[in-house]
Amino acid sequence: MDAYLIPAVDGVAYGLLLAIAAAGLTVAFGAGGVLNLAHGTLIAAGGYVAAATSSGTWTGLVLAVLAATVAGAAGGGVLAAATAALRGRGHLDQALLTFGLALAGGDLLTTVYGPDTLRPRLPAVLQATVTVGGHRYPVDRLAVLGIAVVVCAAGYVLLHRTRAGRLVRATVDDRAMVAGIGVNPRLVDASVLVTAGALAGLAGALSTPILGVGPGTADTVLLLSLIVVVCGRLGSVPGAVAAALAVGVVQTLGVTTFPTVAPYLLTGAMAAVLLARRTGLPAQARP
Amino acid sequence: MSTAARGSAAPWFGSQAARWRSWAPASLAVAVLCAVAASADPYLHATAARMLPLAVLAASVAVVTGHAGLPTLAQVAPYAAGAYTTARLALAGVDLALLHLLAAAAAGAALAGLLGVVLVRHRGTVVLMLSLAAAELTATTAAQWRSVSGGTDGLAGIPAPRLLPGLPPLLADRAVLLYAAAVAIAATAAAVILLGGNRQMLLAAVRGNEARAAASGHRVYAYLWAVHTGAGALAGTGGALLIHTHRWITPADVGFTTAALALLAVVIGGATSLPGAAAGAVAVLTVRDVAAADLPGHAPLLLGALFVAAVYLLPGGLTALPHRLHRQRILPTRLRRQRHQDLPAGSGAARPAVRSTP
Amino acid sequence: MTTRSMRRRIAALAAAAVLLAAAACTDSPGDAGTVKVGLLVSLSGTYTTVGEDMQRGFKLYLDTHGGKLGGRKVDLIVGDEGDGPATAVPAAQKLLERDRVVALTGLVGGATVDKVQTLTTAKKIPLVGANARPAFAPVGGKARDLTYTWHTSYNSDEPGIAIASHIKAQVGDGEVYAIGPDYQGGYDELRGFTDTFTKLGGKLANPDGKTVFTPFPTTENFLPYLNKAAQEKPKAVYTFYAGAAAVAFVKQYAQSDLKDVPLYAAGFLTEGSVLTAQGPAATGIRNVLNYSPTLPNPANQQFVAAWSAAGHTGQPTTFAMASYDAAAVLDRALAAVDGDVTGEELNKAIGEVGRIVSPRGDWQFEPTEHRPVQRWYLREVKADGPVLSNVLVQDLTTLPAS
Repeated sequence: MDAYLIPAVDGVAYGLLLAIAAAGLTVAFGAGGVLNLAHGTLIAAGGYVAAATSSGTWTGLVLAVLAATVAGAAGGGVLAAATAALRGRGHLDQALLTFGLALAGGDLLTTVYGPDTLRPRLPAVLQATVTVGGHRYPVDRLAVLGIAVVVCAAGYVLLHRTRAGRLVRATVDDRAMVAGIGVNPRLVDASVLVTAGALAGLAGALSTPILGVGPGTADTVLLLSLIVVVCGRLGSVPGAVAAALAVGVVQTLGVTTFPTVAPYLLTGAMAAVLLARRTGLPAQARP
Repeated sequence: MSTAARGSAAPWFGSQAARWRSWAPASLAVAVLCAVAASADPYLHATAARMLPLAVLAASVAVVTGHAGLPTLAQVAPYAAGAYTTARLALAGVDLALLHLLAAAAAGAALAGLLGVVLVRHRGTVVLMLSLAAAELTATTAAQWRSVSGGTDGLAGIPAPRLLPGLPPLLADRAVLLYAAAVAIAATAAAVILLGGNRQMLLAAVRGNEARAAASGHRVYAYLWAVHTGAGALAGTGGALLIHTHRWITPADVGFTTAALALLAVVIGGATSLPGAAAGAVAVLTVRDVAAADLPGHAPLLLGALFVAAVYLLPGGLTALPHRLHRQRILPTRLRRQRHQDLPAGSGAARPAVRSTP
Repeated sequence: MTTRSMRRRIAALAAAAVLLAAAACTDSPGDAGTVKVGLLVSLSGTYTTVGEDMQRGFKLYLDTHGGKLGGRKVDLIVGDEGDGPATAVPAAQKLLERDRVVALTGLVGGATVDKVQTLTTAKKIPLVGANARPAFAPVGGKARDLTYTWHTSYNSDEPGIAIASHIKAQVGDGEVYAIGPDYQGGYDELRGFTDTFTKLGGKLANPDGKTVFTPFPTTENFLPYLNKAAQEKPKAVYTFYAGAAAVAFVKQYAQSDLKDVPLYAAGFLTEGSVLTAQGPAATGIRNVLNYSPTLPNPANQQFVAAWSAAGHTGQPTTFAMASYDAAAVLDRALAAVDGDVTGEELNKAIGEVGRIVSPRGDWQFEPTEHRPVQRWYLREVKADGPVLSNVLVQDLTTLPAS
């Protein structure tokens, strides 16, 4: 049991980080109907901004997280403007557009920040390790774990206890109804994309101390986020959190427990979940 | 081709005209190919030949995505099966091109048939993600199965095929181009013909309203599975061409990047049009490999710009372009509405009929 | 004929004309005293850092030699290798067939070298690789023709071979844990060490004595692997990672249960900009490479000074050094060619360049395999003035052993 404690904690920390990364994607899809393949690039942008802004002080850290969130929100705004014209043209056109923006954006990011893997400078306390149950564990991960719990809780409250959150959830369920009560669903769409961008930026800022940010970051987190979002049922935030925790545990406990199948584990698990669920079947389609 | 203008009076001729229009990119492509083959520059020959395997793969993705309505990234799996079958045959000393093509098509169809059993039962985003898993697993398997694939570094220096026993191997750049073009055009044309007529109507009906198609006694899954398997044969043929034009392969060539480029090429081309998808693939590779050569390091920027431009400037894809030009400049207003109705499945001829089930 | 089909025909003609015009541009002859050299390196994708370093190394040699190699003005044409053969081969083909370069150099990835080598061999153009050198597996039972293939770098298994006996001496009867990335480069690097180490009587701490390979490039979180390794209570750990994975590995090693276990590595783990990103976590890592910026020979002091003078941040790397040496090889070889330069003559001249005076210490090509016979060094990450550096500890051995 002792041997699994640290990997389990680590899996949860990694999973919650993924949950924040994927939350923006799932909300944008569920409420805005936007399949945003540039989401990974927004996360990378947040990471770069945070790494460049941080200075090793606590003030610097707070500023870095804020700057990353603002940068992500701005990116979300660009996406909202870019996708507004595509409403009703299907997800593949959106995929083409957002994939194009992701490629161009990724190129601009490496041109501005260089090809190296960057990490933020943290206050000394966060770079230390603590001993948990006889094992060493990094403080920065514990801090991220704590912040992630707070963000997830805040997200839940926002989505379920505020008018804005209810509007978003209502838009997911029934756009026409929302329009009927006098709210412009396009306004909801735009604010959802900006919020999703802000979440992406925040996720980028939170993950850089642990994973760093470089040219490959956008692709990796986009793939992981897509897996989380689809396994957690598109548009569902609690689903995404659960799926993210599962992915986190697979990526920590799974790969070391079953090393021979490690390269197949994640995609294999995703396929298994999707097949087991069978929601893809349109109920009326059976002859 | 003048039937196009005349035919707009009658609905049947109208859809025929739409069919002709969907061949516009194809004829343009053939014209460009002829020009390239006629030039004296081996670089142009080799570059053009290298684009054709992806063009065939894109055509097969267009079959599954456009006609069967299943947005897929999984066609790289039969593509890989065809490519590695060809590579192993060539390395084992079997060098007849036709044998390669047949074996690759069979291997592609077999693998696509297996995958199809699962994939055709799903729709929308779920099918996209399942096919993504298939694409990832294909590349992973290729990397891990070292005795077949040569591991992550892949295989190089694969012997060139021969058209007939006794003929010299296909090595000269122009000969390779002409051979690859002939195979690509023949395979695509065969697929277009197989998808024509009643089958096209049937698939359009399935895409348009699956429940109704099923209720009227059509075996929806069986149709979709057959189409998916056939598209696998096409992708397998593309895989054989990959080996014949490149004579090397790495697992990355049958992975997610290739799958994504092929799917995006289909969107650029206009979903149901196979020649359009092939032209889209050529456009993508031209930007990445030719245009970006003068701006080293910024291929992603140019490729991204191409995608963004395609979305805004070519709604409905390349295939819809002649139609849009036609509508805007030539047809009198009176006829426009009618022209619109003539297109099979409305503008769906040029747009993916993909529904997402969130 | 309708207007529409006319327009289509015009479009086709225009497209053909553009392509033909582009074709026509390729044959512009250069000046008599100018040679075209192709430099193919990763300028986008995962290996951009290495690619840019190699570009800097080559240009540094050119800039410090009046832009000339062998008395000829050099027209250096740069191509982007990207992430591998899919992007690299088209770029190589452009350099070979459109630009008609007389030599191709650079090349970051092993898979790329493996494929491009067949092109350059067919065209009889010397390939002077300055980084990865794959095993060149025989094809269809036939050994590869390496006549036109040269490397100023190393074989991927050499770092491990070079350091194995040193580690054996350090751990005595203790066991060593081996871990690396799951791709060809990883297998080669780790095999070099494990084969030599076990031949010397060493034992691996890994269960079943098999090296642990982590999925590549998807593994970003090494903590679970490291904590699992700690359970085997190894006396030391040997590894190879490069780029982003190297940063993550070193950072997390210092945060894991293995923190106090000595870490040995192929020098790429702490080479170049990754060391800056790793920071203090890398301190004390002992690693092996064919170069250290603190080597005391005059050629190196000159090289390091020129590197700083060129305004490059940080210290030069083995990547930059090997590319600098590729320029030195071409310099010597081009000087030996009279009149017009052809690939065949240049290749013959490369075979006769003899000893190269290099920042890594003098070396020469092994006559059949065309790779350097060179010294390998043990280095340790230490503060060198204000910055961290791979400081020379001692000479290890000369490879390939004659």
